[in-house]
Amino acid sequence: MYKMAPARQCSTLAAPAGYTAVPVKFSEERRTHHYLYVKEHKVREELDQTRPQNRTLFVLNVPPYCTKESLFQIFTSCSPVELVELQDKPGPSEPQSNTVSQHFGRRQLKGFKVAYVVFKHPSGVQAFKSLKVKKPIVLSEVSHSIKTGINKWVDDYRASLTGTAELQAEVDEFMKGYDERVAEEEEKANEEEGVPDEEGWVKVTRKGRRPGLARTEAVNIRVTEREKRKRAQKELLNFYAWQHRESKREHLAELRKKFEEDKQKIALMRAQRKFRPF
Amino acid sequence: MQKKRNRAGPPQQEAASDDGEMSDSSDKMEVAQGKGKSAVKRAPDADEVLRPVKLSKSDLYKPPTNDELNRLKETEHLFHTNLLRMQIEELLQEVKLKEKRRKTIDGFLREINTLLGTIPETPQTDLTDQTWLPDSIKVPILQVPYQVKGKFCFLPPSSIKVVGSYLLGTCIKPEINVDLAVTMPQEILQAKDNLNQRYSRKRALYLAHIASHLANNELFSSVKFTYMNSNHLKPVLLLRPYGKDEKLVTVRIHVCPPPGFFKISRLYPNKNNVRTAWYTEQETEGVNEPPTPHYNNTILSDLTLEHHLHHLSNCASDFPGMKDAVALLKVWLHQRQLDKGYGCFNGFLAAMLISYLLSKNKINKVMSGYQVLRNTLQFLATTDLTVNGITMATSTDSSLPSLHDFHEAFQVVFVDPLGVVNLCADMTTNKYHQIQFEARESLKVLDDTSADGFHLLLMVPKPFVRTFDHVFHLTNVSKLQGTCKKMKLLNQLIDQGGDYLATSLPYVLSILSKGLGPRVALLSHTLPHRPEWDIGEEPAKHRDSSLLSVGLLLEAELHTSVLEKGPAADSSQALDFRAFWGEKSELRRFQDGSICEAVVWPGSSLCEKRKVPELIVKYLLELHADIPESCISYTGNVLDCVLTRGKEAGTEEEKMVGIIQSYDDLSRKLWNLTDLPLTVTSVQGTHPCLRYSDVFPPLPVKPDWSSYQLLREKKCLVPNPEKPCPAYVAPVKVICHMEGSGKWPQDKDAIKRVKAAFQIRLAELLRAQHQLLCNPSATHTDVYKDGYVFRVQVAYHREPQYMKEIVTPEGMLKYQDTEESLQLELETLHLPSLTSTLHGLHQQHPAFGGTSRMAKRWIHSQLLGDSFSEECVDLLVAHLFLHPAPYSPPSSPQVGFLRFLHLLATFDWKNSPLIVNLNGELKGPDYTEIQNDFISARAQLPVMFIATPKDKKDSLWTKTQPTAQILQRLIVLCLESLRALEQQLMDPSGSQDYKMTFRPPLDLYDILIRLNPKQIPRHREAVDQPAKSFFRGLLKEGAQVKDLMFPVVGYDPVQCYLQELREAYGEFALFFHDKHGGDVIGVLWKPSGFEPQPFKTTNMTGRVMDGKSAKPLLVPNVEAIVEDFEILGEGLVASVEARTERWSI
Repeated sequence: MYKMAPARQCSTLAAPAGYTAVPVKFSEERRTHHYLYVKEHKVREELDQTRPQNRTLFVLNVPPYCTKESLFQIFTSCSPVELVELQDKPGPSEPQSNTVSQHFGRRQLKGFKVAYVVFKHPSGVQAFKSLKVKKPIVLSEVSHSIKTGINKWVDDYRASLTGTAELQAEVDEFMKGYDERVAEEEEKANEEEGVPDEEGWVKVTRKGRRPGLARTEAVNIRVTEREKRKRAQKELLNFYAWQHRESKREHLAELRKKFEEDKQKIALMRAQRKFRPF
Repeated sequence: MQKKRNRAGPPQQEAASDDGEMSDSSDKMEVAQGKGKSAVKRAPDADEVLRPVKLSKSDLYKPPTNDELNRLKETEHLFHTNLLRMQIEELLQEVKLKEKRRKTIDGFLREINTLLGTIPETPQTDLTDQTWLPDSIKVPILQVPYQVKGKFCFLPPSSIKVVGSYLLGTCIKPEINVDLAVTMPQEILQAKDNLNQRYSRKRALYLAHIASHLANNELFSSVKFTYMNSNHLKPVLLLRPYGKDEKLVTVRIHVCPPPGFFKISRLYPNKNNVRTAWYTEQETEGVNEPPTPHYNNTILSDLTLEHHLHHLSNCASDFPGMKDAVALLKVWLHQRQLDKGYGCFNGFLAAMLISYLLSKNKINKVMSGYQVLRNTLQFLATTDLTVNGITMATSTDSSLPSLHDFHEAFQVVFVDPLGVVNLCADMTTNKYHQIQFEARESLKVLDDTSADGFHLLLMVPKPFVRTFDHVFHLTNVSKLQGTCKKMKLLNQLIDQGGDYLATSLPYVLSILSKGLGPRVALLSHTLPHRPEWDIGEEPAKHRDSSLLSVGLLLEAELHTSVLEKGPAADSSQALDFRAFWGEKSELRRFQDGSICEAVVWPGSSLCEKRKVPELIVKYLLELHADIPESCISYTGNVLDCVLTRGKEAGTEEEKMVGIIQSYDDLSRKLWNLTDLPLTVTSVQGTHPCLRYSDVFPPLPVKPDWSSYQLLREKKCLVPNPEKPCPAYVAPVKVICHMEGSGKWPQDKDAIKRVKAAFQIRLAELLRAQHQLLCNPSATHTDVYKDGYVFRVQVAYHREPQYMKEIVTPEGMLKYQDTEESLQLELETLHLPSLTSTLHGLHQQHPAFGGTSRMAKRWIHSQLLGDSFSEECVDLLVAHLFLHPAPYSPPSSPQVGFLRFLHLLATFDWKNSPLIVNLNGELKGPDYTEIQNDFISARAQLPVMFIATPKDKKDSLWTKTQPTAQILQRLIVLCLESLRALEQQLMDPSGSQDYKMTFRPPLDLYDILIRLNPKQIPRHREAVDQPAKSFFRGLLKEGAQVKDLMFPVVGYDPVQCYLQELREAYGEFALFFHDKHGGDVIGVLWKPSGFEPQPFKTTNMTGRVMDGKSAKPLLVPNVEAIVEDFEILGEGLVASVEARTERWSI
């Protein structure tokens, strides 16, 4: 299709099949631009309730400095936008923000991103399709400028200073939940103690009067080691004549092996001209 | 858009590409060679890798043959190990002369022989009448004074014989010298020719006449003169064959008197043969003529040439081990630069020593070359020839001079089989002590089973500048004339025939030895060496001898001492002490009440203390030897300048002591905190400054509020984007382990929360109990104390365990390393223990910190700092101290740094693990285990493999970095820097800009991002002092602060910027920067990132659809990316320079 278009336009707006290229640039005075590649969001099974297929756009190649807000602005110009989600890779949306805590395991998005834009109405998708982009869209406008460089890093620094009270509150809440969970599990374990399941198996736990061996790798290794040692103690060494013979043979074999290794080393060194002293 | 790459471009560009395997590096290295920048060894091909040896069962267990058993047995008896035997065999093969070459040389010698017989006679003239010589030939001896009695005429030689190493078969490549002894006929000589250099003059004239007849013969490519062993009384003629064998051989023509011509008893060391009156050209009545042992010795050694040859060939007959041993010893001496110059220990001496040992039954004729070498070293190590000389004389003739006579006359005594010649006549005490020292060190290496003795003894060169901790040069040798005068050495000067360098050297050295005393373990010098000269030129003058360098091997503890305590004021030695130290000597009262003479040197900082030996040397030379300071170029401490920050003097070692004191206090406070739910079990610092190896240690800070934004509710300062970036405050990380207890949850997420609660609690308690300003966060608590910021991180020893837990489908609990758990282990387990070990190492070797800092500074300055972890460099440096062989552990940072460069550049990273035996915990079997594990898993292991006792298999600190390409690049830089630096250090007449090697070449980068110095917080740390400085929001040390606010910690915009760049564009480019004040970021495109790729949703990062090509492919949107560099670094980036000539869009 793009082959038939005039050469100039084809080089600027070429896009993979099914995608539309949208040139964006950081600010008015910038000379170059990146392209957002946009297509309708389509997946075989709709798992995600927040991204209805008929009113969601999938956006590739979102530049590093581009924020949710600026995308919001861009697409609002077509039709009201309900939600913009940014991700590192295409895929199902990440867990909701209320379970991801403010202070623990928060991940910053890095580099180029992908975005899912959900319009309020299905008509948004159509509106976007009919949109003809003539000149690059400016991301950082005066009204809602994007902070980069020094300003951004100062903001980041400010954000990294945590409030003690919030942190404490979050920890307390989590621990409360955790304690409840642990208590529940313990209670459940207590209930099941010594009670056979439907096939008649009784679960042996670490608790109780006669705890079984813990099922960990370390314990397994320890047990086998002990067995081996016991066996080795019973064995007699250099007792029979054949054992003597054997150990001599082993010694010679060892020497030979060493000799072979040394020969290999020498050959290598010779190849590297390691014997030229000066 | 198509990116074209210039394939023949500089190698560095290629070297940085991220893809490709190690084997790629070899091609790259060749490019480097092609450029002729450095003599780089060719990197081995990919198939030249050690692989585990697999022998089939039948091979291993077949019955042994007789030969095999014999060889195995022989090896056991005669050599250390099989490997050593094979190595020595290979080496000998490499250095020995091939039979084919021998034939060529023999032919050449025959031709010379016939030529020498055809030289015409000349009529008899006075010795001083040299008009018969053609103008194109100059007499190869310094004729001072010119007047001398005697007649000379040329007659064909009475005999021509080959002597020396060529006949014995002990000469070694690459310098094959064949010595030809040409005997003057008796008729030329007169009765009293032994007097007043007459014989020497005749000898020189004889040589000059021979030279004039050989000069234009087409048989020779060059006909030159030189002094034998740089002894100016003994010129020799050098002949080199014409054609392709030019480099093969040098024939040296010696002239010697007919045997028995001189009465030997007249030449004994206590006899005089040079009259003072003649030498000074003044009438001196009734003066006791002083003995002239050195002069006598030169004549005697000419007389005995042939006899010595016979003696040696007797010894060498049916003693194959001797030939090998001499060859090995020659290699050993050459690697230590002991075998050339005036007073050297040459191959002839080595052969003589072996023959001595044979005659004393210390060795026997069935020994192998290795055993003879070992025994010879053993002898050298244990025998001090400067005190107990040895003689090979067997005759009991009581008229022969005694050893005592020799000791009176010479410093080192080793008398030949005739009992008259001292073979070590020209050697100084200091040189001999150096040889002894080397022998001792070498024996230690041979005894150490874990070291590769062969390599360290025979293959590693020990250049002077890398051997000694401090080196200084006498730039103007002729100043030593004044020294001779000052020390009243006229008699010695007569004996040496006016060679003031040789005359004064022993005296100067003895003064230095006395003055430096226990500060030096060894004091030695380079051997004066006089170059060859063309036969048409005047002979080399005394002042032409290469510059004299003196090396000091320092005692680690003592050399920085500022006090020289002398004898008590009223004792008899006090006068001597005062005379020796001159006006520096003063009376001092000591704590024990005694009043003593003493000399005190300035030493307020370690940097100044390191200069004490320099001060002593300069002071004493000026005082006693009349050598002005301007003639001494002391290069022992010149690199200290790269460790100074801004305009401040000193290298800031004291600052680290300050931090460590503050840290100790903090850890005590943490230990003693009351009201913590669990007790603290250990407090361990992990910051490099706590092991003395931080390039620029944190300084105490007091922020000036006006340059910041205030965050009152959190009591924190925040940088103000309008103002210059505040000074960088590095957080000093401290790991605080909490006691294990059942109260800890058993879930990794819960542990994190509990740790956070601890952080908050710690902050509260420190604030309440110790009034410290604290700033807790989820992972750490920042503590502002004494102007430093400590980052205390709570740790629980079982946390990594919980992170590793996996439950298998069978319900078994398994532990598997995860990235998170490894990282945590690294931070809380390995790093603290490494830090404390290295801290201990620094206590043993005070130069460790400085060396490590210099090494890091250098790597950073080459913009490669981000590719090497701090710990990796620390371990490399630790290796220099723990495994110093063939050197001794460095006592000055500078020499340590040179060795660091050498280690990094020459170590065989591909085939061997670098084993750093911290605390000496590794034993013999551990070494083999590490080696074997390494070989069997080589392909999976990092390119740089460093093993320590606690880390035998993983090489924790080099796991992710560096890549093969970066390492390769660093090696190239190392070689080049080392070469340039050593040249600078050994040549005081050249450029004195020692920072040269610390300035990176920038021409290889595709894009340079210039940064605005205003926003570089560490700009003051730059190698070259920046012209402009900014106010970084700090108050002076004593300033009063009304209320404490938490300073800005760890905020470096440049690092933020680099991180963003690497995250976003790491696929396309590599970014290089010097974090210590660098104001430029070098960008190198990766060829792999520029390859057009088919469309995938995952690689749509910064790329653009290439509409021009037939197939829809993705190429990087280069223009936009380059502009992004500016956008992302707004406020920091001054300009982005694209070097379009290097890549096209």
